[in-house]
Amino acid sequence: MIKYILRRILLVIPVMLGVSFLVFTMIHFTPGDPVITILGETASQESIDQLREELGLNDPFLVQYFNYVRNIVVDQDMGRSYVTNRPVANEIIAKFPNTLRLALLGVLVSVSIGVPLGILSAVKQYTWIDNVAMFFALIGVSMPIFWQGILLILLFSVVLGVLPSSGFNTVQQMILPALTLGTGSAAIVARMTRSSMLEVYRQDYIRTARSKGLREFMVVTRHALRNTLIPVVTIIGLQFGFLLGGAIVTETIFSIPGVGRLMVDAIRQRDMLVVQGGVLFIAFTFSIVNLGVDVLYGFIDPKIRAQYK
Amino acid sequence: MKKKSAILISLILIFGLLVAGCAPSTPDPGRDSIVVAMGGNPVTLDPHGSNDQASSRVHRQIYETLIYQTEELELVPALAESWTQVDELTFEFKLKAGVKFHNGETLTANDVKFTLERALASAFIGHIVGPIDAASITVVDDLTIRFSTTQPFAPMLTHLAHPAMAILNEKAVTEGGEDYGTNPVGTGPFKFVSWDFDEKVTLERFDDFHGTKALLREVVFRIIPDNTVRTVQLETGEADIIYDIQPTDVSRVDAAPNLTLVRDANLSVTYIGFNVDKAPFNDVRVRQAINLAVDMEAVVNAVYAGVGSPAKGPLGPNVFGANMDLEGWDRDLDTARALLAEAGFADGFTTTLWTNDNLQRVQIAEIVQNQLADVGITVEIVEVEWTKYLADTAAGLHDMFILGWTTVTADADYGLYALFHSSAVGTPGNRTFYRNARVDELLDLGRTTTDQAARLAAYREAQEIIRNEAPWVFTWNGENISGTQSNVTGFKQHPAGHHNLAGVSFAP
Repeated sequence: MIKYILRRILLVIPVMLGVSFLVFTMIHFTPGDPVITILGETASQESIDQLREELGLNDPFLVQYFNYVRNIVVDQDMGRSYVTNRPVANEIIAKFPNTLRLALLGVLVSVSIGVPLGILSAVKQYTWIDNVAMFFALIGVSMPIFWQGILLILLFSVVLGVLPSSGFNTVQQMILPALTLGTGSAAIVARMTRSSMLEVYRQDYIRTARSKGLREFMVVTRHALRNTLIPVVTIIGLQFGFLLGGAIVTETIFSIPGVGRLMVDAIRQRDMLVVQGGVLFIAFTFSIVNLGVDVLYGFIDPKIRAQYK
Repeated sequence: MKKKSAILISLILIFGLLVAGCAPSTPDPGRDSIVVAMGGNPVTLDPHGSNDQASSRVHRQIYETLIYQTEELELVPALAESWTQVDELTFEFKLKAGVKFHNGETLTANDVKFTLERALASAFIGHIVGPIDAASITVVDDLTIRFSTTQPFAPMLTHLAHPAMAILNEKAVTEGGEDYGTNPVGTGPFKFVSWDFDEKVTLERFDDFHGTKALLREVVFRIIPDNTVRTVQLETGEADIIYDIQPTDVSRVDAAPNLTLVRDANLSVTYIGFNVDKAPFNDVRVRQAINLAVDMEAVVNAVYAGVGSPAKGPLGPNVFGANMDLEGWDRDLDTARALLAEAGFADGFTTTLWTNDNLQRVQIAEIVQNQLADVGITVEIVEVEWTKYLADTAAGLHDMFILGWTTVTADADYGLYALFHSSAVGTPGNRTFYRNARVDELLDLGRTTTDQAARLAAYREAQEIIRNEAPWVFTWNGENISGTQSNVTGFKQHPAGHHNLAGVSFAP
């Protein structure tokens, strides 16, 4: 098991290299010039040439990439933002906890709403409870985040006046962003749990459990739920990645200083090093979460655990 | 079972604590601390490191310039007590004595020399001091500095009042090194305390300020990028002042009894430009016909909900040198059709209109598309991503495009030279590629002569020619729109958008 985990962690290195090269290439070949964006509509050709030289943008593409990787590996330096001249690493380290926290809270919301809702709806399949639950799931999936966010703000901040509309430092400040971010994926988790549960429900061992005379509650929690969880855990892991990278809208609406916002601004301004840094952080976290999901499989399913040995 | 759920609940609680833990709660701002919400995030607090509005809004509180341009656009002494123009090229400034920087240093002419030299070397704001000859900057004595421009430059004083021309302290800049932009030191009424990037900038009253001290103890600039949420923050009282209220939210703030709406004309103009190097826009009749075929009054009412006003010329009404007697282009479809027929386009033509993803500009494009269909011109709207937009319009790949300009110095030179002089085609601002020898001559005259009457006459004539040759469709003059709680007093908007907060306080 330990060996397996170590091997997986080592695999992260080529993944990081691949990701950084891909991103570097994509930004490099995207039309638009970082220098013109930074200097704006009034720049003279001289200032453009001057800044391009200062930022090292006149070097050939591969030289730029090589320098970037070398600086990270040798000097542990991710460079400075073209726009703000602040060290990229500091910028990301300052913001990453917010994004991570937001994504974790989003997952918490989505699991604590999605899993019970999915179970309920599977147990009460084709009853009004099932219909109502799936109706809300459908709404959850279809509602755009920015709209939902604004509606929540209008209700809780303006009309009721109970929660703040911005920031991410206090518990009160975290409730609305977490709800906004989590409900969409709660709906996905609910649907996944439902179909997975229905699948399990048709298995012989469930019939056996019932014929033993177990209460339905025990049948569901002891025998069905655990076997339902594998696909659900997979989808939660994927959702986490999605929440990590997809929190941009939520971060903007609730004025949360996070990596998503940082990166969107950076992409707009072709601030290459900041984009790179952000992508690397997110890719790294996502890799770790995926690893966690795989390890979790082993805990949930003894059959999988047996394979590691 | 009970035990399991107990474990589960504790796990959730622990998780919640971890997530929420160690987070400081924001203190309630008291009566001597104000929260100002704005949309943009300052890029850097080093005035030579960028030239963006959000940064300028903070710079205004921390730094001072030699000369201050008031809200009424008059030039008054700030760090310079007085100044004289020694000859056509040379200026001499006497500095105010005993001015302290936030780090305790005293302002001397050496700081001014250092600042000017550093500004000249900056890719971001070098153009603002461009005419100054670096070799000529001389420290006469501790409080006197003298420098010359390479050629006569009439708007020099307004350029020195630009917030980018804030005077820096040599020691602080040298000590700050690469990180000076996050450790700014100025002479202004507020000193820098802290900056949580993308979240807030906190400033505190500078008690050794040489002039009238700020009334508030603390100013917190909060970055709220979403326009609707910014308005909400004013409504909920989370912010005391908000900047840049959107036209759609104006009536909401205006109607609220506990809020005050502050509206003033600003120095911006939005325009639709033609690529005059490209057919059919190389024919002046086609450009005039399009001017006659659109109705800007309708555009402004629909898009800006009555905020601002339809532009009548290339300069906003409060800019020095603006010609307010230009004849407007009233909608006249018959004349437009006749002009098009004369130019050989009796059946119209097909063209493209570029815009970036700015909501209002997209809406303008849609209305103009509709209006031009009335004279047989088929317009395809192309939304271009901002970076590409700037690069491609500078390279002349466009037919028609929508863009804006802010004459920050409130002097016609800043608002005309870069946009209409033949030496400025492409990146520096003249994206219509318009060239006219007489206009060049007039703009050069306006730039070099110090005779104000002659400048005014030159700018009047230049604007007349531009109006008739129509490289633009004059579209819209904007407004600065802020909102405050009604107990906020002393808040006054600067037409250039960087409002001075030293005189702001709460009504008792």
